[in-house]
Amino acid sequence: MTRGGILASGIATVVFMVTVFAIAGGSGALGQVTKEAPLETKGEASVRPWKRYVGWPARDESTYNTLGNVATPAAPTRPRKIAGPITGDAKKGSELVADRDRGGSCLACHVMGPAGGANLPGNIAPDLSEIGNAGREDEWLFNYIYDARVYNPETVMPPWGSHGFFNDEEINDMVAFLKTLRSPAAFKTALDDPSKRPPPVEKRENLDPIENPAMWSVDKAQELWKQAGAAGKSCQSCHASANAEFKTWAASMPKWEPRLEKVLGVEEFVTRHAKATTGADWLMESDENRAMSVYLHYLANGTPIRVDTTSPEAKAAIERGKELSARKVGQLNMACTDCHGKVANHWIRGQWLAEPKGQYDHFPTWRTSLLAIWDIRQRFQWCQVNIRADELPPDAKEYGDLELYLAAQNDGQKLSVPGIRH
Amino acid sequence: MRQLSRRDALALGVSGAAITFVGLDERAFAAAKEASEQIAKFTGGMPAVSGKISIELPEIAENGNTVPLSVSVDAPMGADNYVSEILVVADGNPNPGVATFHFSPLSAKAQASTRIRLATTQNIIAVAKTSKGEFLTGQRLVKVTVGGCGG
Amino acid sequence: MAEKPRLKVPKEAKKGDLIEIKTLLPHVMESGQRKDRDGKMIPRKIINKFVCEFNGKPVFAVDLEPAVAANPYMQFHAKVDESGTFKFSWIDDDGTVTTAEESVTVM
Repeated sequence: MTRGGILASGIATVVFMVTVFAIAGGSGALGQVTKEAPLETKGEASVRPWKRYVGWPARDESTYNTLGNVATPAAPTRPRKIAGPITGDAKKGSELVADRDRGGSCLACHVMGPAGGANLPGNIAPDLSEIGNAGREDEWLFNYIYDARVYNPETVMPPWGSHGFFNDEEINDMVAFLKTLRSPAAFKTALDDPSKRPPPVEKRENLDPIENPAMWSVDKAQELWKQAGAAGKSCQSCHASANAEFKTWAASMPKWEPRLEKVLGVEEFVTRHAKATTGADWLMESDENRAMSVYLHYLANGTPIRVDTTSPEAKAAIERGKELSARKVGQLNMACTDCHGKVANHWIRGQWLAEPKGQYDHFPTWRTSLLAIWDIRQRFQWCQVNIRADELPPDAKEYGDLELYLAAQNDGQKLSVPGIRH
Repeated sequence: MRQLSRRDALALGVSGAAITFVGLDERAFAAAKEASEQIAKFTGGMPAVSGKISIELPEIAENGNTVPLSVSVDAPMGADNYVSEILVVADGNPNPGVATFHFSPLSAKAQASTRIRLATTQNIIAVAKTSKGEFLTGQRLVKVTVGGCGG
Repeated sequence: MAEKPRLKVPKEAKKGDLIEIKTLLPHVMESGQRKDRDGKMIPRKIINKFVCEFNGKPVFAVDLEPAVAANPYMQFHAKVDESGTFKFSWIDDDGTVTTAEESVTVM
């Protein structure tokens, strides 16, 4: 529907106008926006061509799956034959297993005796500190590192060899190191031992403006609300009382939008609705868009998340989102459901992997490590890039499906935005 | 691995603040040494009594970018005897100096908190000075989380 | 719109009370350790001093180094014997001084 098209649409127009009058007439009766909001349906909601954020790793991973494209080569069907015992440089191996630049390092998932100084190793996968005593054949050790899928098709272990992280000589060095591991790791402090490390508990007052710098964006959004866009109007022109009108709206998002045939999250809604009404150009991942997303969620704080899961379109989108969450992507060959399902509630190096429930109600969130506000789409993008998969633009329809699935898994969780996290 | 000679240890003049030099690599050693020097400058070589300063820090910092820190001295703050300053240094940071808190009798409590940056797992050392020219010290180890996926 | 300093100061107190004060200033606290995209060092630019006075008398102050995190946060206490005004000052490396004030009524 174009901007001019609203007036031409007959009955829909009448209902729309009645709704506008009802809202303008007082915060009482209607309270919540219920009619179809004008949306700019032409064009994309984020920068094109999409360029990865400055400061993120610049790798091109187009030879592997993304959430938008299937490209990963097939897994090998059988282990490689290794003739004779493996001789390698165990000292080099001990360095390779701890090298974070090689896709995270083995210590992200495994305790491995003295490797990496036993400094906060993870416990996603078995403790390998005594694997030298476990009676494993060299060929088995080699192939498990090269491509564990030949032994366990459901493995979470990345295919370090067949996906090009390590060459054969380096894998031999790591096997040589593994063969030296014959006694439990000696941790310098109790906290280094992932089996003794207590899960983190978030105790910060995220809505305290002195605790959370993201609360400044609430102030900023309140100013933007009154700012006239290119069409000479501001949000205020139609939404006289933001507090009353948006008490629950954000908790019902994201939502299937028939005019665009995709799921729209709050951020994309802001882009398209602002463009179609005030004329403001608030593309996704702009400062203004993030501030508005924070603000619109903030206005609905305390409201339990409750998205449509029953309409045919929502059901189909959720089904797609569920499939996407299980797709292995990237050079590291991981799916959302690997970290946030199969191995949830374990330590990946010094960070805790959580289940999807409880991981959505605080977005957009302040990130203390980056001094930045991240919305859920940027969070998705980083997960991809971090596991060496190319990200999609933030308004990708696949991200919409994934977000709806995530929101459905968070049904009942109360919004508390802006969050504050690492 | 360079051991401090007894003469070096005396010259640093810090009897209570125990910075461990043993087992550090070059960069860590330089940071620890500079931290010691800052403390020595603050105390003028006077001994510092440990046990009266409490330092609150998370056991594991989620990242090194913003770590909450609180220092507190359980001491009276009367006009004739009060904690006048607390120096905080981080012995593993490239520049170990963190902050110096200045108190007055109007502060009424020798306690302050802020948020700090830590380059790596290290010790935070606090040294307090009283208006009578006495020194107190304390320290605490903070582990800085190593991230999961390799950035 | 520039972000405003956040202050938490009680509006009222009884004579002789110990009150808690919290402050937060928006500031990047550029440490001088970071490099830009082209590999050049970004010059240091921090708040190097924070001062709190009450009715003109010094209460609490901090000398800040680059190791204080961005958006410097300070929490401390003050004893108030009379009504008056707290004045907070933040001094930037470049000499700029940002100030804020909060009044307290003492009963």
